[in-house]
Amino acid sequence: MSAATTSPATTAPGTASARTARVTASLRHGALGKLLILAVAAAVLVPLASAKWASGTWPHALTVDLSGPFGDASTWIVDNRDTHWFFVYFLGHLSNGVVVSVRAVYLCLLALGWTGVTALVTLVAWRVAGLRIAATALISLLVSGVLGMWVPTMQTIALMVVSVLVSIAVGALLGLAGGLSDRMFRLLRPVLDTMQVLPAFAYLLPFVMVFGIGVPAALLATVIYAAPPMARLTALGLRGADAGVLEAVSSLGATGRQRLLTARLPLARKELLLGINQTIMMALSMVVIASMIGAAGLGDRVYQALASVDVGAALAASIPIVLLAVVMDRTTAKAGERLGADKSAGPSWLRGRLVWPAVAVVTALAVVAGRLTGSLVWPTASVIDIAPPVNHFKEWMVDHIYSGIPVLGGTADWAAGFTSWVLNPLRDGLTALPWWGALLIVAALAWVIGTWRTALTATVALAVIGVLGVWVPSMNTLSQVLAALVVTLVVGIGVGVLAAGSARMEKILRPVLDVCQTMPQFVYLIPVVALFGVGRAPAAAAAVVYALPAVIRITTQGLRQVSPAAMESAQSLGATRWQQLRQVQLPLARPALLLAVNQGVVLVLAVVIIGGLVGGGALGYDVVAGLSTGDLGLGMIAGIAIVCLGLMLDRVTQPTDRRAGKGA
Amino acid sequence: MASTVVDASGTEKSTATTTGSQAEQDAVFAVRHLWKVFGPKAEKVPEDASLAELSAQELREKTGCTAAVRDVSFDVKKGEVFVVMGLSGSGKSTLVRCLTRLIEPTSGDLEMDGEDVRGMDRSGLRELRRHRAAMVFQHFGLLPHRSVLDNVAYGLEIQGVGKAERRARAMETVEKVGLGGLEHRRPGQLSGGQQQRVGLARALTVDPEILLFDEPFSALDPLIRRDMQEEVIRLHKEEGRTMVFITHDLAEALLLGDRIALMRDGKIVQLGTPEEIVGSPADEYVRDFVRDVPREQVLTVRRAMRPAESGEADEGAALAPDTLISDAIEAVARSGGAARVVEDGRCLGIVDHACLLNVVARLDEAAPDHGKAAA
Repeated sequence: MSAATTSPATTAPGTASARTARVTASLRHGALGKLLILAVAAAVLVPLASAKWASGTWPHALTVDLSGPFGDASTWIVDNRDTHWFFVYFLGHLSNGVVVSVRAVYLCLLALGWTGVTALVTLVAWRVAGLRIAATALISLLVSGVLGMWVPTMQTIALMVVSVLVSIAVGALLGLAGGLSDRMFRLLRPVLDTMQVLPAFAYLLPFVMVFGIGVPAALLATVIYAAPPMARLTALGLRGADAGVLEAVSSLGATGRQRLLTARLPLARKELLLGINQTIMMALSMVVIASMIGAAGLGDRVYQALASVDVGAALAASIPIVLLAVVMDRTTAKAGERLGADKSAGPSWLRGRLVWPAVAVVTALAVVAGRLTGSLVWPTASVIDIAPPVNHFKEWMVDHIYSGIPVLGGTADWAAGFTSWVLNPLRDGLTALPWWGALLIVAALAWVIGTWRTALTATVALAVIGVLGVWVPSMNTLSQVLAALVVTLVVGIGVGVLAAGSARMEKILRPVLDVCQTMPQFVYLIPVVALFGVGRAPAAAAAVVYALPAVIRITTQGLRQVSPAAMESAQSLGATRWQQLRQVQLPLARPALLLAVNQGVVLVLAVVIIGGLVGGGALGYDVVAGLSTGDLGLGMIAGIAIVCLGLMLDRVTQPTDRRAGKGA
Repeated sequence: MASTVVDASGTEKSTATTTGSQAEQDAVFAVRHLWKVFGPKAEKVPEDASLAELSAQELREKTGCTAAVRDVSFDVKKGEVFVVMGLSGSGKSTLVRCLTRLIEPTSGDLEMDGEDVRGMDRSGLRELRRHRAAMVFQHFGLLPHRSVLDNVAYGLEIQGVGKAERRARAMETVEKVGLGGLEHRRPGQLSGGQQQRVGLARALTVDPEILLFDEPFSALDPLIRRDMQEEVIRLHKEEGRTMVFITHDLAEALLLGDRIALMRDGKIVQLGTPEEIVGSPADEYVRDFVRDVPREQVLTVRRAMRPAESGEADEGAALAPDTLISDAIEAVARSGGAARVVEDGRCLGIVDHACLLNVVARLDEAAPDHGKAAA
């Protein structure tokens, strides 16, 4: 069994006694014991299994074809959408409500005109987050206008306003329930944890099936995707409230309601704001992706442009997305900091009661000014079309750096090389691997790193993929994930180690990482397509770029948090810097490194799936194809496989103490 | 009922048998056989005599329960400072929380002004917490998002008092505890001592009948602690409010307490005035505890004096019976001769060099101890 080679006894040479000591130590640790148990189980089961269903990939006899039932269900829904009471009286109202409210917000934004919206956004940013962020907001809106993206930007903002409000309401209510009731918390926790690791793509199909393609499906998928962080952080914040304060409040005779309103919620305000921040960022990410299922706006422009590999147009639409993300993130983060700092900063006139009326008055003036000049929508005269020059530049790149550079090769050559030397062998290897072998490896890895529960979940998830009959495309996706993961980890941990060792490096990296972490996943595809063309290698490259910031950050923080006393004692013993790193820092930062791996896997998977849009193939492509051809059965199965793959990858890399560590 | 209050107190309590009804009227809190047991089937422990007798460790091994408060009885009299003192884990903090049922007692009787606290429903209990007993906590328990003034006014806000009125009343207490000028700061911007003044002010603002202190000063620096102790003494002198004060610091207990209940493993091992605790320790544990106390600063000449011999009753300096030994030493040293202990113009006894030295050197311990016990 290949997994057995991970046992420590076979590594590093040493004296016999040292070796036995290691073996007993690892036995005590349990890793070897677990592997032995698995080996015994395998020795019994594998001959049976391979005798019965001898094949490399998942045996056909063990699959269940669900595309028929899913297709029937979707046909039934389409047939009954206008007649069945559930659709007419519940989902119909829901979907109408969504459409009406998004429309209403959009019309408000249009009525305000570009002058009004710009004034309002800038002033609000000024009030809650200060001058610098207000300036960023102003510039961002102007840039969106200049790029000719004013209308799609307003469409996206309208969707965002509604979906964020609904997500926050839903999340806060769930969080309240989880924060106040232990049973609810135990119920919610694993669900929310799991939802956070699932790729955004997996959420699209079920909503399309029920609501059809359109704004309701897009918005509700966004809500489901964006509400969990709010729920999670609300619950954790309410639970983490200082027990001493709560006791003091009770001792003064507060009722339960008073306790909640005057103490618990205010005490959790930091977590609540962090939750709002995360919800906004996830909603933006999803609103952009949901353009595939009918959300108009910036995401739709990117999607259309990517479909025709029009890099210039994609860039023009993605710049406003990035700017929106940065403004929203900074504004909410800064507002949170200010609340946390006990006292709002800034000049006193900005804090008075008259500020909000003043904002309203100035906005009104701006609206009037806009109407008088007769330009409600951004004036077309002041639009700069950047697509042609960008595309021209891309042509130049295709001609000059795609290939044929001496010694270096070229970006397209690299992509081809990566595909043929890394991705193809990996994919072929995974596909050729006997299915029971894959199950065993997953079980062994998950059990050694985590607990028997995580191992069981991971193995079952992989088996479900097989049963669904999408073993081959899943192995293809998995190969892309693994290749991207290895690159991410090597680069990320390397950079993280450097950044932890040098303050200057960290100072340079920090703003870059901040921006990278706020960008929606979709946006990463554009530069990659520009550089490498389409295919599996660009998808993997986008995944690497997307996952790097988180891995670098977690590694740096983990290394930084290593107890200074341990470092000092190593130094005083005369350890070299390399020795310090290898013998003190890295071992002590092990939990952080494991977390970095876990986060890396989750993020890489999310983008590899989206990479189906740019030729990544496999499961992501099945979802896209299912959506575009209306073959919902195919899409749903791929979606479930993505969920299973996500679960499996998360559980395999899930350190044992993660739950305990986050339990505060 | 009062006859059951034997415990370790011995002195005043045992005489309460005769004047039981009067003692109960004076008591703000009357606590009888109070138990607090944590753990599975906690309510079985106090009922079962065989379990109730076990030591803490035996109990845990046998039932998995921990008895934080075991069979505790005492009265808190109107206007006194009642100190509960003990090391950490002795159950004193649990005990004070049981008084307003912040922790629900397992069994026993608990009365405040003759009203059964354990029988109160939620709204009755809330009224008790709102108006009659307020607590000051070791870690302050202030609301970090509110200004000092709003923290102090919080108790009134909970009661539904209007904003203007509660702020005006809060401002008075803010001034009273010496925080004038800081009322618009946030707790995070104050020092530990100042924060505890806010905690104290918050408790005072609701004008409670009784103040409960749970180790309020143990988190503070020694110098600031001294200031705060003096603040409490000053407040007590000015207002005469009843106080229950929890501490692990013997010096603090002796300084503040009119009476001290010394706890160990959930039980009160001795209850008495500071002089009784120091002068007549009930057992080896208490004796150990008070070993390092400078006795001359706690004990009075009443304990040191000997009967006057002929002629002595008219000579020498006159001292009141509650004069501290340290003051008496000074008087005796100055005059060079013995001093008389005089109460209402009657000579109770004589203190001379030998008597005073006996007390300081702990030679008096054995004899008066027995004397007390016999009395």
